Amino acid sequence: MIMIACVDEKNGMLFHSRRQSQDKVLREDVARECGERNLYMNAYSYAMFGQDTGISLKVSEDFLNQAGDGDYCFVENQPFSYLRKKIEGVVLYQWNRRYPADTYFPLDFADGSWELERVEELKGYSHERITKEVYKSLPDDGNMGKES
Amino acid sequence: MKYNWKSCKLLLFVIGCFFLTACTGITPEDLLPGKQESATLESIPEYSEEPYVVLNDNEPDFAKSELTEESFENYSELDSLGRCGVAYACIGQDLMPTKKRESIGQVKPSGWQTVKYDIVDGKYLYNRCHLIGFQLSGENANEKNLITGTRYMNVDGMLPFENMVADYVKETNNHVLYRVTPLYDGDNLLADGVQMEAMSVEDGGEGVSYNVFVYNNQPGISIDYATGESSLAGKAPAAPEKQTGVIRGNSRSKIYHCPGQAAYEEMADSKNLVIFQSEQEAKNAGYRKAKR
Repeated sequence: MIMIACVDEKNGMLFHSRRQSQDKVLREDVARECGERNLYMNAYSYAMFGQDTGISLKVSEDFLNQAGDGDYCFVENQPFSYLRKKIEGVVLYQWNRRYPADTYFPLDFADGSWELERVEELKGYSHERITKEVYKSLPDDGNMGKES
Repeated sequence: MKYNWKSCKLLLFVIGCFFLTACTGITPEDLLPGKQESATLESIPEYSEEPYVVLNDNEPDFAKSELTEESFENYSELDSLGRCGVAYACIGQDLMPTKKRESIGQVKPSGWQTVKYDIVDGKYLYNRCHLIGFQLSGENANEKNLITGTRYMNVDGMLPFENMVADYVKETNNHVLYRVTPLYDGDNLLADGVQMEAMSVEDGGEGVSYNVFVYNNQPGISIDYATGESSLAGKAPAAPEKQTGVIRGNSRSKIYHCPGQAAYEEMADSKNLVIFQSEQEAKNAGYRKAKR
């Protein structure tokens, strides 16, 4: 599975159980990134994405257990670091701003188990700039699965 | 003396509650679930490394009857000490700025001091700090919306919460009920901090909901909240910068005057006076230099 997540300048994801921000241009980019593959998410995320994404959406509260190899998972308000060994890659969108946060992105890309494949800059609808980083998981050398 | 003032405040609060209930029809049943009365300084915990602290489990103190899908903004009159009070708004896209922000240097909020420290980001300890952020309401040089706030409070404390509301409104075209309340200890000219409350209207708070107190402090700096005077922690108060080098602009003619120029002194009392900290700041705001 390939995780898709959004973070702010301090790796924050949520505040008071709510997403920090959103951007319609980012959602369009997520759809392009997924292409023909399935995109899994829960009802909270689906309420933001809606039906008109043009991609194959799979909505379930148990989506992390349903997604298979090569499937994309849009993660916002559920823990997922325990699935580290199943995560093939991460698409990380970084807002160019800082928001309040009490829940943070749990993976450490500096732990030696990741390779940065590409970086792109997006001009968002309500954000001047969104940085997109795509990471690939490296073969397990013993670091995988450690909590950051 | 302080005890008497607190008793007085309590009495005013009780009277205020009576009139609020009697005049607006707001009853305890009308309050949203989990709501409590607004914060008091006595209930705020000591600062502990974070620029803000969560109040009331992050639930704002709005009543159901306050939820509206029409944008508005209200600012309290300055009190007898020249201090700002509650700023209250329903943020919608129609309230957001359409023009570039201009200088606010002419406003001197209560407790204002121009003072620099090397340890402060941007050097200046104090910012003219919008209660309702400019990006939300477009309200700029309004003295009822500007308090003396530390750089830390402005940038690390308040801005992230303003960003959250601004993005949400732009992306959804929904409204956010929004209130910022400066809290002062007694007659202090500087607020100890601000309570920030926000709740998205159309989705009943699913998008945005918070209730926090942001501290008006600056790590490494000691502040006298009675006057705004400050010093490096453990050292004597720093002298405010002399204002002699300040540039005086005329907002009507868009001409600025430097110290020593012909009309510089005349501009001091002009109703069109705009203060800039440098010629470059004046030029950036579209002003040109007086010829004489």
